[in-house]
Amino acid sequence: MRASEDQLRSWMTGALDGDAAAYTALLAALVPMLRSFFGNRLRGGSDDVEDLMQETMMAIHSRRGTYDRDRPFAPWAYAIARYKMIDHFRRTRATVPIEDLENILVSEGFEAATAARLDVDKLLGGLSPKQAQAIRATRLEGLSISEAAAGAEIGESDVKISVHRGLAALARRVTGSS
Amino acid sequence: MNTDQLVITLGSSVTPVRRGLIPRRIMWGVTAGGAVTLAMVVLQLGFRPDLVIAMHSFAFWMKWTYTLSLAVIAILATAHLARPEAQRPRWLWLLAVPIAALAALAAGELIRTPTSGWAELWMGLSWRICSTRVATLSLPIFAGLVVAFRRLAPTRLRLTGAVVGLAAGAFGATLYCLHCPEVSAVFVLTWYTLGIAVAAAIGALLGPKLLRW
Repeated sequence: MRASEDQLRSWMTGALDGDAAAYTALLAALVPMLRSFFGNRLRGGSDDVEDLMQETMMAIHSRRGTYDRDRPFAPWAYAIARYKMIDHFRRTRATVPIEDLENILVSEGFEAATAARLDVDKLLGGLSPKQAQAIRATRLEGLSISEAAAGAEIGESDVKISVHRGLAALARRVTGSS
Repeated sequence: MNTDQLVITLGSSVTPVRRGLIPRRIMWGVTAGGAVTLAMVVLQLGFRPDLVIAMHSFAFWMKWTYTLSLAVIAILATAHLARPEAQRPRWLWLLAVPIAALAALAAGELIRTPTSGWAELWMGLSWRICSTRVATLSLPIFAGLVVAFRRLAPTRLRLTGAVVGLAAGAFGATLYCLHCPEVSAVFVLTWYTLGIAVAAAIGALLGPKLLRW
């Protein structure tokens, strides 16, 4: 099973205090996360994926002092992975679209985890009522898009857009960028 | 090396990291570079002879307030961009406050001065060299900050380079005030700002090369 945000964060906090066991557990948990992150985004061979993964882990190691214990861990780690991927594409002169960090967190399944530490109601309260309701219905109550659309008496595409924009706004707030 | 080995190697080589690495390293970079810049001001240019008297004047504190507030804002923005998850700049809009305040003072000077005196307000005695000196004095501080960034994790390299250059330029200008005898807000707004902007442009140019990791 994949490690949760809370678990990763407590390992990282331990690592910053010098706990080698916590740090080894963190790195071991990062291996499948990073492998799937790069695997899904690189068209090249698995050698590239393995190289980039190792480079990212070494960067995480050497830059670990830039992690702020009061902030979520996943956005920090994926931001480093994203940077290493951009650097890789620049070296190989490939031109590919790269998602925002916010969308990466959503597609890697960490948007819920990063939000979970905070009071969900308070967070959703900062969005427009339509976005908040769309996210509540599809992400928290587990309804399908069409069920959510019928419930709110709005169109399906309206629900999708509301969820997307709402999550992006939440991710912006959680990652602390303005 | 295979990945399992890497996990074990890195995992066993962990050492504790104190909180606040980013501010500590940035302060270190500014202090180390600032010491070199200060030495350049003292040894090459010399303090203005009336420095002690000038420190009781409005003009001196107007210049310091301007350059120091630009420096503080740029340092806050730099510290933000040192974290990998920072994708957008922060704090930079605050730069408008000191610039607008100085522009208001400059407008007041122009209104109070007959147009025949405007050229003197604007050019002072040293307009030809002021911007170049500010930009040159920024270089040690820029270098100090680049070294400080070797353990930090900026992902917007050009933007970070520009903001680091801005901070270096503003601190360089602050130290240049110890030499520079100019007193008009119009002069400072034009030539100091130009020198600081040049420092920021150098930073933007070199950022992608020097800050890469």
